[in-house]
Amino acid sequence: MAQSGFDRRRVNGPSESFQPTFDDGLEESSDLYDNWKLGEARRKRHPGDIRPIFLQTGFIKQANGSAYIETERTKIACAVYGPRQSKSSSYHETGRLSVEVKFAPFSSLVRKVPIRDAEDRSIANLVHQALASSVRLDTLPKSVIDIFVTVIECDGIESCVAAATVAASTSLAKAGVEMLGLVVSCAGAVVGEDVWLDPNEEEARLASGMLLCACMPALGVTTSVWQTGRVLPAKALLSLQLCQDRCSDIHQIVALALHED
Amino acid sequence: MASSSDLNAQIFQRLHPRAYLERFLAEQVRPDGREAEEWRDLFVHVGSVSTADGSALVRLGDTTVVCGVKAEIAEPDLEQPTEGFLVPNIDLPAMCAPRFKPGPPSEEAQVLSDRLASTINATGVLPLSALCIHPERAAWVLYVDATCINYDGNAFDAALIAMVAALKNTTLPKATFDEETGRTTCSRKIREALPLKRLPISYSFGIFDGSTVLADPTAFEEPLLDASISIVLDEHGSLLSTGQLGIADKDKMSACVTAAKERYEARGREIYSF
Repeated sequence: MAQSGFDRRRVNGPSESFQPTFDDGLEESSDLYDNWKLGEARRKRHPGDIRPIFLQTGFIKQANGSAYIETERTKIACAVYGPRQSKSSSYHETGRLSVEVKFAPFSSLVRKVPIRDAEDRSIANLVHQALASSVRLDTLPKSVIDIFVTVIECDGIESCVAAATVAASTSLAKAGVEMLGLVVSCAGAVVGEDVWLDPNEEEARLASGMLLCACMPALGVTTSVWQTGRVLPAKALLSLQLCQDRCSDIHQIVALALHED
Repeated sequence: MASSSDLNAQIFQRLHPRAYLERFLAEQVRPDGREAEEWRDLFVHVGSVSTADGSALVRLGDTTVVCGVKAEIAEPDLEQPTEGFLVPNIDLPAMCAPRFKPGPPSEEAQVLSDRLASTINATGVLPLSALCIHPERAAWVLYVDATCINYDGNAFDAALIAMVAALKNTTLPKATFDEETGRTTCSRKIREALPLKRLPISYSFGIFDGSTVLADPTAFEEPLLDASISIVLDEHGSLLSTGQLGIADKDKMSACVTAAKERYEARGREIYSF
């Protein structure tokens, strides 16, 4: 349902509109996990496999650094502007990292009304946390680095955050910002006894818990861990380990994309 | 040596953009290597966003616009009980160029949205009566949202093509209105394409220094222009609408119409042939 309200800065539609309902009653159109029962194996992929990553850098000509990442249906564009002069008048000893995440209105199954909502901000926060400790902000007093992320299509919100983090770190590297290491990120879903890496939206719905891990494989350190849902501590640690192992593969992809340029 | 002269050229471009462009045009060439009436390459790709009911990606040189159509159902307007809604908007996010700021749509984005909406409605791309499901009770609302990913001038042409291509790519599920329950249900199996009546293509030109006509201006050229002229042709090359912002000699408009038709003859027919 889209209750847009009247906004004179945009072309307005009717005051109220609803998502179409289908005759078979199901919300989702995909049937990959039809008749799936807990304990069954993951369909189409091995539990430890991630979706293939396409990563391209430098496609936004006017940005200092930019990257486009695509993992099957998830499509994200990211641009970095800066380091540039901070607009706020107060003096800052260290630089600031500002992250803004925007979802295109057509990026998910339900249309997103173009208003900055809480979800965008919490995702921006997660990306910020993952990156903040990797950037040498102490070398950039009085400046700000703007990271803008636009989600064109989203398939699984946790994997989307992970992909956004990878794209943002790649853009930072492309912009020549001093960093301690490249940050890459991977999500793991705990489904029954298994841990499924890089879950898509349907798989995320089957999961009892989720773990999102961001790390710098070059230094072997973790920069951010975010866990939700019901997970045994041992399973959480296992997911963390699996995510970290997979992150070193993603790190190679990022390094290759930067090298090719 | 080469790098220092490159840097000097860059500084000259930043400090004296007008003189920079004038010197290029004196040599009959533009800063990106094109001739005055030359167009940038156009690339159209449809159907890449699976969460949308129809989508298109358009690249015009470096300018990149993604457009997605989302269909929802609403009660028709009381005054037009048999018509649906077509709601085109464009977003110029802070990502696409340094001069755009985050936050609500800038004035530039608002003007662009408005021009796109009036062009799409006035040229009759889609008769709104085709969106009616049941008079007075249910009709489709098509939210046509375009987002600029990379801004390098002439967003209007790219966005119009992206929106029309996304509409051409859109399929709607077959909807039936149940008068007893007052609910609309859609079929999962049958999807139908939209009955588009016209497929407009826009050709924009910039007038520099009162005399030079620059086809398809870039982000660097745009702020230096005296006027910009947009010519909209349909899929057969007939004139649909013209628009001019700024001051230009009166013969410039007809020159632009001729140039637009020439461009249509060269590349126009294949734009929507996917």
